[in-house]
Amino acid sequence: MAVVQIPAARAAQRARSRGGGPVGSRRRTALVAYLFALPFVLIFAVFMLFPLVSSLGISFTDLTNRDVTNPFAVNVVGLEQYQRLFQNTQFLRSMLNTAYFVAIGIPLTMVVALALAVALNSGITRFRTAFRVGFYAPVVTSIVAVAVVWRFILQPDGLLNTVIGWLGVSGPDWLGDPHWSMPAMILLAVWRNMGTLMVIFLAGLQTVPRELLEAAEVDGASSWQRFVRVTLPILRPTLLLGAVLLSVGYLQFFEEPFVMTRGGPLDSTLSISYFTYNQFGFGNYGLASAASYVLFVVIAALSVIQFRAFRSKD
Amino acid sequence: MRARIFTYLVLIVAVVATLVPFVWMLLGSIKTQGELLRRPPTWWPEQPTLDNFGTWFGELDIGRFFLNSLVVAAFTVLGNLLFCSMVGYALAKLEFPGKRALFLLVMVTLMVPGLVTFVPLFVVVSKLGMVSTYPALILPFLAGPLGVFLMRQFIMGIPDALIEAARIDGAGEVRIFARVVLPLCGAPLATLAILTFLGSWNNFLWPLVVAQNEDMYTLPVALSLYSTGQNATNYGVLLAGSVLVITPVLALFVALQRYFIQGIALTGVK
Amino acid sequence: MRLDYHCEFRTRADEGVGMTRKLSTLTAVMVASVLAVAACGRSDEGPADKPADSISSGPATGTINIWAQGTEGEALNDFLKGFRDANPDVTVNVTAIPWDQAQNKYQTAIAGGTTPDIGMLGTDWMASFANALRATPKQVDTSGMYPANVESTNVGGTHYGVPWYVETRVIFYRTDLMQKAGFSSFPTDWEGFKQLAKAMKEKAGAQYGVALPSSGWNAFFGDLPFIWSNGAELMNADQTKWTFDRPETVEALAYLRSFFDEGLANKSPDDQPGATAGAFANGSVPMFLSGPWDVGQIAKAGGAGFEDKFALAPVPAPPGKTPISSAAGANLVVFDKAKNPDAAWKLIQWLTEPRTQVEWFKATADLPSQKAAWSDPALANDPKVSVFGKQLDNVKTPPTLTTWTQIAAAADTLVEKIMKTGMDPAQAMKELQATADSLGTGTR
Repeated sequence: MAVVQIPAARAAQRARSRGGGPVGSRRRTALVAYLFALPFVLIFAVFMLFPLVSSLGISFTDLTNRDVTNPFAVNVVGLEQYQRLFQNTQFLRSMLNTAYFVAIGIPLTMVVALALAVALNSGITRFRTAFRVGFYAPVVTSIVAVAVVWRFILQPDGLLNTVIGWLGVSGPDWLGDPHWSMPAMILLAVWRNMGTLMVIFLAGLQTVPRELLEAAEVDGASSWQRFVRVTLPILRPTLLLGAVLLSVGYLQFFEEPFVMTRGGPLDSTLSISYFTYNQFGFGNYGLASAASYVLFVVIAALSVIQFRAFRSKD
Repeated sequence: MRARIFTYLVLIVAVVATLVPFVWMLLGSIKTQGELLRRPPTWWPEQPTLDNFGTWFGELDIGRFFLNSLVVAAFTVLGNLLFCSMVGYALAKLEFPGKRALFLLVMVTLMVPGLVTFVPLFVVVSKLGMVSTYPALILPFLAGPLGVFLMRQFIMGIPDALIEAARIDGAGEVRIFARVVLPLCGAPLATLAILTFLGSWNNFLWPLVVAQNEDMYTLPVALSLYSTGQNATNYGVLLAGSVLVITPVLALFVALQRYFIQGIALTGVK
Repeated sequence: MRLDYHCEFRTRADEGVGMTRKLSTLTAVMVASVLAVAACGRSDEGPADKPADSISSGPATGTINIWAQGTEGEALNDFLKGFRDANPDVTVNVTAIPWDQAQNKYQTAIAGGTTPDIGMLGTDWMASFANALRATPKQVDTSGMYPANVESTNVGGTHYGVPWYVETRVIFYRTDLMQKAGFSSFPTDWEGFKQLAKAMKEKAGAQYGVALPSSGWNAFFGDLPFIWSNGAELMNADQTKWTFDRPETVEALAYLRSFFDEGLANKSPDDQPGATAGAFANGSVPMFLSGPWDVGQIAKAGGAGFEDKFALAPVPAPPGKTPISSAAGANLVVFDKAKNPDAAWKLIQWLTEPRTQVEWFKATADLPSQKAAWSDPALANDPKVSVFGKQLDNVKTPPTLTTWTQIAAAADTLVEKIMKTGMDPAQAMKELQATADSLGTGTR
C-alpha cells in the first residue's frame, strides 16, 4: 500500500515517537483511547475480571456447594487446596493424560491440517469451495450429535473397524480398551479441529510469494525442498498462531471424553478439565478453582514457550 | 498432470472420510427410534420417515428457539465487531497509560478455563437482575478477548501514514476510526463474525442456566430438553434437531469462507 | 501489508519486568479485597434448625413457579388442569428443563438466588441441596409412601421435600430364550441366576448371558442390589461410619466378577443410552438389570409384538436372603427463597395424592410414590409394573450424606478395576474404605 507521506505528518510522527508533543494533545489522545476502550473495558470488568478474581479468591478457601447461600462464611485455607491437588493421584493422572493428548494431538492436527491446506493450495481449481466446506464442516457440528455418530463409528463392530478389517487387521475396542481410548479421543479431536487450522494455514499459504517458489524451481529444487526451504519458513508465524490456538484449546480438552467415555476406561481419558468438572460436581469449589488455575499456568507457560520456539529469526 | 490427479484422489478420499459421520447423521435423522436402537446398526434407513423433523416443526415451537438463537447470535456478533475493533484500534494506534496492562489482561483471560468463572458470573448476572432476559444471554459475550486480539493485530498493520494524513486533514479520532480504519477491516471482521457466531450458536451451558423460562431457550437447550432424558435418548429427534442446528452455520460459512480465509491471511499472519 | 506480532511480543517481553510488577500489585490488591470480604470464617455448627412451614387452610392463591426435568416437565403443564380448576385464584408456571446438566442449573440458581418455588430433585441429590430447601410441613402426610424414598428426603434428621415418583431396578429377561435355555421359571437365587446366564450363552445362542455394570458412572450404584441382597450395609446403623470392607460386600463383588471372568458378561459394553435395550431385543444379551424407563425403550427396539417375549423379575439373592434392590426417583422440594411457599406445598400435596398419582402414571408411566395408588387396576393389572411394585417392598437408598457422590465416584473406579482388570474385591474394598474414611460423612 503505497502512500506518500507528507512532511508534516512525518514530523508529527517523529514528535510522537519521541514521546513529545504538547501535553494537551497527548492527554486528548489518551482520553479518546479510553473512550474507545470503554465499552470493552466495562463488559470485561463486570463479566470477566470480577468472576475471575472471585474464582481466584475461592481457590484459597474451602468453599463448597453447600456454602453458596452464604459464601462469605468460609475459611481461608491459603495454599492448602493446591497442596491437596498435587497429592491427589487422580489429578496427577489427569495431568499425564492431558500431556499425552496435547503431545500427540497438536502435532498430528497441525500435520493433517497443513497437508490439506497444501493440497488445496496446489493449484487445483475444481470443487475448491466444496472441499473447504467439507473439511470445515466438523468444526460447526455440535458435540452432542458428534457423540452419537462417533459412538457408532468406534464400536468394536463399528464402521472404523470394518474399514480396518478390509486391510486384514482386526481393530481394537476403541472406547473400551484403556490403551486405545486416548488414541480414539485424539482421532476425534483431529477430525473436529483440522478444519479451523486448515483455514488458517490456507491463509498463510496465500502469502507465500510465487516468485520465490518459481526462483527455487529454476535453481533445481525439488517440490519437497521448495516446501521445506521456502514455504515452511515463511509459514512460521502462521504455524505459531495455529499452535497457540490449538494448545489453548487442547489443554482444556474436555468435551470429547465427556460425551464419549466419561473419562474412562480406568481414568485413561480423564483430563485436567474433566477432573475440575468432577470436583465442581462434588461441590468442592475451592479445589476445583485451584485445579483451574494450575491449568491456566500450564497454558500460559506453554504459550510463552511456543512464542519463543517459533519466533522468526529475522 | 499425474500429480494433480493424485492430489484430487487424496482430497476426495479425505473429504469422504471426513463427511461419513455427517451422512450417517442425515440418514439417522430419518430413521425410527426402533431402528436407531437396533444392534448392529443399520446404514440405510429401512422405513424412512420425516416424523423426527415433524416433531420439531409440529409439536415444538422451533421458530421461537430459532429466533432466540438468532437474536442472541446477531447481537453478540455485532457487539464483538464494534467493540473489539474499537478497543483494537486504541490498542494498536493510540497511546494511553495502562495500554500494555490492558492487552496483557486480554491475553490472560484468553487462557483461563471458562468453567472456573461460571458460578461467579451467574451471581453477577442475577444480582444485576438480568436472569431470563436477552441481555443475560448476550452481554457476557459481547466483547470477547479473541476478537480484541484479532482486531489489534490487524489494525497494527494499517500504515500510520494513512491515519496521520487523516489527522492532518482535521479528522477526529472517531471519524478516522469510522472512515479510515473500519473500511479496511472487512476481512478480519468477517473472520470474527464467523467465529463469534459459531461460539454463540453452539453455546449450551450458559443459556441453559440463564434462561429460566422456556420462552428464552436457545436451540441447543431445546435440543437437549426434547431429545435427552435421564436414562434414555430419543436419537431420531436429536439427530434431526442437530441437522437443523448445523444447516444455518454451514450456510454462513459457505457465504463468508472466502473473506474468512482472507481475514485470517491478513490477521496475525504475514 | 504486514503484521508481525512476534516483534510486538518481544518488545513487550523487554518491558516485561515492570509490567509484571504492576500487574501483580493489581492482582494482589484485588485478591486481598475479595478475601477481606470472604474471610469471615466458617461457623462450625450445622445449619440452624429451620422451623417447618405450616400450610394454611383454603385453596392455593398467587403464583407458583415450578421446574421439572425432561418428560415430567413437558407433561406437567397440561396435567395441572385439575389443580387449577380446584384453585381458581392460582397461576402455575411450569418450566421444563433438560436433564442434561440439571443439577448444575439448580446449583447455579441457588448461588444467584433465582430459584423457583418448587423444584424436582433426584433422590441422590438431596444432601447437597438441603441447605437451600425448606423443611417439609407436618401437614404433608408421607406415611403411605415407600419408606426408602421418604428416607431420601431426610437430611440430618429433618425432612426436605416429598417423594414424587419412584424407581427401582429389577431383572429384565427374554422369556423365549429362557425356555430355549431349558428353564421353565426364572430362578430366584444367585446360583440359579448364574446357571441361567450360562445356559443363555451355551444353549440359547446369546453372545453374553447377562449385562452387568462393569464401568463408568453409577457402576457401583448398579451393583448395590447384589451387595444389599447379600446382607451388606454401606454404613453402621447410626450413620457415623462407612462399612465397605465387610465380607458380605466383598463376596457380592466376587460373585459379580465371576460373570466377567467366565465370559458371561461383557467387560466393555456399549454404554450409550438404549444400547442395552438394542442388544436385549436382538437376543445377544438376553438379561439385564434396569429400571422402568427401559420397558418403553425395549418395546420400541423390539418392534410390534415384542412385549410378549420378555418379562421382569425381582433381583436374585443368595439362598435364604431377601432380594433387596436400590430405590431412586425424584422428590418435589420447596426452595428457601420461594416467594409463595404456602401455595407451593399445596401443589405438592395435590401432586402426591394417590388419586393424582394414578392419573400421572397414566400420563407419563412414572411409578407412584404412594402405595395406595398401586391398587388401581391401571397398575395392578400390568404384569411388568407389578414386578416393580413387588420389588419396591424391599429397597434401600444410599445414605443422604454430602460425601456420598464423591465416595460413589471412587467406588465406580474400583468396580471397574475389579471387573475389568481382575483386581481382588477385598483389596478394592479396603481401598474404598480408606477413601471413605478420609472423606468422612460430611459436615452434617
